[in-house]
Amino acid sequence: MREAITRLRYRYWPDHWLGEILSKRWTETAIPVFVLLIVGFWLSQSIHNFLSLSSLADTARQACEIGFIALGMALVVIVGGIDLSVGSMFALTDFCALYTLDVLGWPVPLVVLATIICGMLLGAVNGFLIGYLRLRAFITTLITLIIYRSAFDLLIQGYSNDIAAAFPDLPSWNFIGGGAVFGVPSVALLYIVIAIFGHIFLTRLRPGWHVTAIGGSRRSAYNSGVAVRRTIALCYVACGGLTAIGALFFAARLGTVGGDIGVGLEIIVLTATVLGGITLGGGRGSVAKSLVGTLIVLLIINGLTTLNARGGINRMVLAGILLTAAVIDIRWLKNRSRIISKVYVSPTYLALPPPPVTEIGGGGPFEQNDKLRDVALIGLGKIEAPEDVIFDRENNLYAGSRHGDIIRFFAPDYERMEVFAHIGGQPLGMAFDRSFNLYVCVGGMGLYRIAPDGKVEKATDETNRSLYSVNDDSRLRLADDLDITDNGLIFFSEATVRYEMSEWPMDGLEARGNGRIICYDTNTGKTHTVLRGLKFPNGICVASDGQSIFFAETWGCSIKRYWFEGPKKGVVETVIDNLPGYPDNINLASDGNYWLALVGMRSPALDLAWKMPGFRQRMSKRVPGDEWLFPNINTGCVVKFNEKGEILESYWDLHGLNHPMITSMREHRGYLYLGGISNNRIGRYRLQAADPNFAQYEKRWGLQ
Amino acid sequence: MFGGLRDFALSFLGRGEATLTVPSFDGALKPNQALESAETLLECDAPEDLATDGGKVYLADGASLGRLDGNGMTTIREFDRPITALASLPGGGIAVTLNGREVRVYSDAADATPSATFQGAGMHSINALAPAGDHALYATDGSATRNADEWAWDLMERGRSGRALRLDIKTGGITELAGNLRYAFGACGADGFALISESWRHRLIAVAPNGASKIVLSHLPVYPSRVSPARSGGWWLTAFIARTQLVEFVLREPAYRKRMMAEIDPEYWIVPRLSSGKSFKEPMQGAHLKTMGVVKPWAPPRSYGLVIRLDASFKPMFSLHSRVDGFNHGIVSAVESGDWLYMIAKGPRRVLRLPIEGLAKEFAA
Repeated sequence: MREAITRLRYRYWPDHWLGEILSKRWTETAIPVFVLLIVGFWLSQSIHNFLSLSSLADTARQACEIGFIALGMALVVIVGGIDLSVGSMFALTDFCALYTLDVLGWPVPLVVLATIICGMLLGAVNGFLIGYLRLRAFITTLITLIIYRSAFDLLIQGYSNDIAAAFPDLPSWNFIGGGAVFGVPSVALLYIVIAIFGHIFLTRLRPGWHVTAIGGSRRSAYNSGVAVRRTIALCYVACGGLTAIGALFFAARLGTVGGDIGVGLEIIVLTATVLGGITLGGGRGSVAKSLVGTLIVLLIINGLTTLNARGGINRMVLAGILLTAAVIDIRWLKNRSRIISKVYVSPTYLALPPPPVTEIGGGGPFEQNDKLRDVALIGLGKIEAPEDVIFDRENNLYAGSRHGDIIRFFAPDYERMEVFAHIGGQPLGMAFDRSFNLYVCVGGMGLYRIAPDGKVEKATDETNRSLYSVNDDSRLRLADDLDITDNGLIFFSEATVRYEMSEWPMDGLEARGNGRIICYDTNTGKTHTVLRGLKFPNGICVASDGQSIFFAETWGCSIKRYWFEGPKKGVVETVIDNLPGYPDNINLASDGNYWLALVGMRSPALDLAWKMPGFRQRMSKRVPGDEWLFPNINTGCVVKFNEKGEILESYWDLHGLNHPMITSMREHRGYLYLGGISNNRIGRYRLQAADPNFAQYEKRWGLQ
Repeated sequence: MFGGLRDFALSFLGRGEATLTVPSFDGALKPNQALESAETLLECDAPEDLATDGGKVYLADGASLGRLDGNGMTTIREFDRPITALASLPGGGIAVTLNGREVRVYSDAADATPSATFQGAGMHSINALAPAGDHALYATDGSATRNADEWAWDLMERGRSGRALRLDIKTGGITELAGNLRYAFGACGADGFALISESWRHRLIAVAPNGASKIVLSHLPVYPSRVSPARSGGWWLTAFIARTQLVEFVLREPAYRKRMMAEIDPEYWIVPRLSSGKSFKEPMQGAHLKTMGVVKPWAPPRSYGLVIRLDASFKPMFSLHSRVDGFNHGIVSAVESGDWLYMIAKGPRRVLRLPIEGLAKEFAA
């Protein structure tokens, strides 16, 4: 009963989504958005007319004015700095706009231009000092804050009366201050345009990436050839320009130059920036975060004002929020990857029936023997991690190595070896096509093709993205084994879409169907996913009818058959279930049956643990990976099965001296060759009563 | 109530009592392969315990009691039940425990009838005997529910029914020195105290005749077992199994433990064993993965061989190891006689010996 509940819970509740969602960058924006919704809801409940159109428009005007400054601040913070002088710059540019308009009587376009240039110049001072002279951003902008403020105080003493006396009535100026298009305030329109550009700039354009890169690691960015000083300086210039835009709208809306304009503005903007989730320290942030932060701060200020809170309280609340947000930000930044790594692994329920007997004297096809004791060894100590082995028409042997090479051993004695091709990733399953191009599944890279002259080409490294997958599963993470049909379709398995090759034990801990089978069409070059939700699909072999493939599900301990054409097209049938070990590669035998490698054997302790997901979940969190309960892949064997799914015989290395692990085997001219991904050798075993001329791919392509 | 809350919080967070950390083999416990180079004196069926009077070395092998000589064993006598503990008494006598439940004392090893017999008193799995002065014995009773060879059950049940006893040969009286021990396995007299190994708590305690006890050595990375005096002062402490984080974790997982005990053959439990690597059905841990044909000696030990030399103040001086890639695992007894240290490796069922001279120099931390 309890087990049934466990089974259903893990079957229908997608535990793995939590980790996948948390590892998305956008979840960092989701939290401020959530806060924004709460604040908005609270205010709409406690303030009458809060959601009315006029109230919203008014909020929007203020929000956008501050929003421009917040965008500038966001840019500066992302690049790794801070700008405390925005308040003073705001005041000065406000003065600049009104002075040129009211006192000098310039036309509005010229006023706009002059104001923005003024802002950029003010920002350029910061930028020059911080970017090129490499002063500390905090001190520098604190000083310019004071200087700009003093300059503003001096200027308004001389001109405030002139400005206050003028009442310019220009339609274009009024449009800037209070105009609207279809009810959307002019300021909001411009903000939207700039925000969209800012988003594209930061996420899609090279300079935007440079900004993020510098904030993330200044030295690495410098080493990568980014113009660090110039980029930083330009960020401050942009910050000044954006502040000037905000000031322009402010000037057009209110038309005053009071002494307290822009005082304390830097705190508001900084709070908005941090609250939105833009990390002080640089490297992380987005336009959306800046917008959300601005809205939250503005709503709170307006809400408190409407609720008749005094100015002191207002500022104290703001400061409190800033502090809290900064603390959360720092803690989150520090612990994010830890939290994700703790929740990402999400084991599920997998019940296997008791395995068939393997003990000596127990009978049955899996009864252990010592047939593989006397294998001859090829390349002992010279090759590392030959997952698969294959032969060309000259009987030369090819095997992958963990250094990312395809090694060729020369017939007839396989003593001499050379690097046939360098790929760079761990080669796994291999197959020859009709013209003896070697197709190789490469862990972490995809499907590659090596021409007979050793030229390496990528065949495919992506497939169609699944609709319901949270993780982007379009890239291939762990292409594993393959076979080629008569029509040139390559079916290959991708063992897991949730982990990298080196992390396969985590997939074993999960025991979920994370893998899939993908088809690459050599005729069209197109790739598409054929089957999903498989438990570590591994070996693949085209069946004798040419219309179906056998594939092994390693954690499912089963062999299945899938028809890709013919009357049974699309059908998946289980051929063998409940193997005593974990199946790996499948290959053709000379007698028309199939060889299957069992890479490891089941242990009762793990079989039980697979029925207890909570146990494994806690184990993954609390026990270091080296001490986890693993699938036992220190012992393996080779079995032969027929198309009916009957096991015909098995070959064991009882003491595990030569081949503790067998991931693949290939029959070639009367011998069986053994590969193992954690071995430093290839085994060669003389088969009794096997066709001494059989060569898999020569027979396959009709050359025998 | 706060205690319960605190326990819950600790177990939820994996802190305090719930931490899985195991001390590392460091300092005087720095690993070596000394036990792998030890001479194999004898391979037998079921070696259980060694005892010596300083000259002769007695061996309990299954139900037979023998004396080691030259390069073999001379059987002295056979019992009807297996011997679970053995002690050599001052004055040439010998004491044996049969099947954990009956202690017999013979004035001479060859005597037909015992000079004293102890039975009852709840004795269930007496697994170590040691002389306590001239007319008494110290004994440890591992568990009140499990037989001596069923220690794995006791560990997985988190048993705490071990006892340290004092058997008075003259009066036949049995006194309980300490109770509720988490598996007592190993006793030795030390200046009027009884030195007791409390295995599941990874420590060595000294118990006074009045029952007062103090911890003399704790936080061991292993489960200590029998202990014997060293001639030049101090002790030889054996450790029959070693701790791993996975076992510590399973000990804190009652649901899994219960099902494991109910459904799985004990050979394949997640529990330390005296020997390992015999079957692929044994649980495998990450670091056990054979890479390029090599098993890492630092992998978490399912079985391990260790003898620790303690000085007179119970501080480890040096240690002799057989690591994960070794064979001489499950050392349950080590005694010093002449220039040799005799040991039982219960895993491969061997009697080993090492020349003592030079050990301290070679392996001192």
